[in-house]
Amino acid sequence: MSLIKIALAGEGGQGVQSVAEILAEAAYNENKQTIYIPNFGLEQRGGVSIAFIQVSDERIGAPKFNKADVVVALSERAIGRTSGYSDMNTLFVYDSGFMVKPEELPREAKKIIGIPAVDTANRQLHPKVFNIIIMGAVIGLTNVVSFEAAKEALESKLAYKFEKNPDLRELNFKALAIGKEMAEQSLKEGVGNNA
Amino acid sequence: MPQIFEASKKAFITGNEAIAWAALAAGAEIMFGYPITPQNEVMHYWTRLAPEYGKGFLQTEDELSAGFTVCGAVQSGKKAFTATAGPGNVLMQEPFGMAEAMRLPLFAVIQQRGGPSSGTVVYSQQEVTLTTYGGNGEGHRIVYSTATHQEIYDYTIKGFNTAWKYRFPTFLLGDGYQAKMREPLEMYNPEEHGIEMVKTYPLVGLQGKIGEDREPQHLCNIYSLEEELYEVVLKFAAEYEAITPELVEYEEKGCEDAEIIILSHGVVSRAADDAVKILRAQGIKAGYFRPITLRPFPQKQLREAINRKPARKLLIAESAYGQLDRLTKQEIYGETVAIENLFMPGVGIIDYDIINKVKSIM
Repeated sequence: MSLIKIALAGEGGQGVQSVAEILAEAAYNENKQTIYIPNFGLEQRGGVSIAFIQVSDERIGAPKFNKADVVVALSERAIGRTSGYSDMNTLFVYDSGFMVKPEELPREAKKIIGIPAVDTANRQLHPKVFNIIIMGAVIGLTNVVSFEAAKEALESKLAYKFEKNPDLRELNFKALAIGKEMAEQSLKEGVGNNA
Repeated sequence: MPQIFEASKKAFITGNEAIAWAALAAGAEIMFGYPITPQNEVMHYWTRLAPEYGKGFLQTEDELSAGFTVCGAVQSGKKAFTATAGPGNVLMQEPFGMAEAMRLPLFAVIQQRGGPSSGTVVYSQQEVTLTTYGGNGEGHRIVYSTATHQEIYDYTIKGFNTAWKYRFPTFLLGDGYQAKMREPLEMYNPEEHGIEMVKTYPLVGLQGKIGEDREPQHLCNIYSLEEELYEVVLKFAAEYEAITPELVEYEEKGCEDAEIIILSHGVVSRAADDAVKILRAQGIKAGYFRPITLRPFPQKQLREAINRKPARKLLIAESAYGQLDRLTKQEIYGETVAIENLFMPGVGIIDYDIINKVKSIM
């Protein structure tokens, strides 16, 4: 596998860093070279939070990057904040329920993909697993880790919560599967392609 | 020494956490510190581990105090350390200077953040001058600049040994990226890797009659006479120069036929390594040179690398406005290679930045 660069961005509390950590952990568990670095400037105190992940079979160079293979914006504000990480090779993902002016979307992208993650979470699952849908979508778009590895990493990260409430396990795994499917579908059909 | 790990093990952790584990594996007994980003988690992880392993920790009232308490603890024979960054590094120059003057085996971790002043809490390579030559002395210090989590682990262990073997203050120079990112590494007990930890020993309260049983122990940081200080500093300089060949560490790749050598240190050298590979694939003969010890500097080795082909250009890339550049120029004075620079103070450098710069000057 050649180097895959992923930028996840959202509001504090949306679980951006948690998702990044689980993804990176899953990649590490699959014996891949992995780097995960959060941005930790003053913006973490009430601003857009970004996570940078890189996964490769070979040694990885610099911890940050200018252009990503996949950018996921989990909030409206995050779109403007991350559009600079997008170029002609980037899959730019955002929630199709956001009110976005066309000029806020990146000028360059391989594909701009809107997926109804918030809506699906609210209607079919639970608002809290919105970020797990997004995690599934990242896997669907990149195959950065196997679905099984993602489930295992989720299990180990959320073990204490699953123990208290076993229903949460099913809910999270379902969210992961739905996210993956949505992403794969959007690649095939160009659903929600605004570019 | 008690083994920390049953067997060496892989881990996927932050650099700060790796430092805490490595200090533990190295047999460190106590940490003194004061919070500052991006080194906080060194303290956090150490305080989590300390009670489990019977280790000590003291949060002092400020960085001056943290540095001086390390100076005190090592005199009593304790393997002590501290960690700081940015303005904290500025404040610690006073105790670091005392460690230079009294030849104390002080070990400190510096996680560089942006400057001047509070700058950013994020990242830079702007504490090179301060860490190598800060204080009102001659920079008789040993400074390891790491690039990976494995090196962070390895050089934390080595740093304690260097400090106690040579008794010059020793530093691990990292940065906010290395502090905060997660990356795989192997953690091990030093013995498993054939590393013998230098035994610590008290510098004060020694037994025996002075002049008969033992030499007097001079632990002095102030002198009455100019001539006294002059002699001491000359002696330190001679000792430092004598051990330089065995301390110097560096990495070199592809300099044998290089038209241009990219010189970088720390985390930037990862990007330089990638850039050299890409440039070579495109037919540009680029080489890579990285000092691991910034003090003492691999002066002889860099001169040799430059003169091998010889290289026409030396590109110095750093996340500072010329701190590595100045350090290098004073070390290779007299070489006629053209020196170019890529200065990006306080921001990260990726392979793309270096490749673009090389193409613009070749």
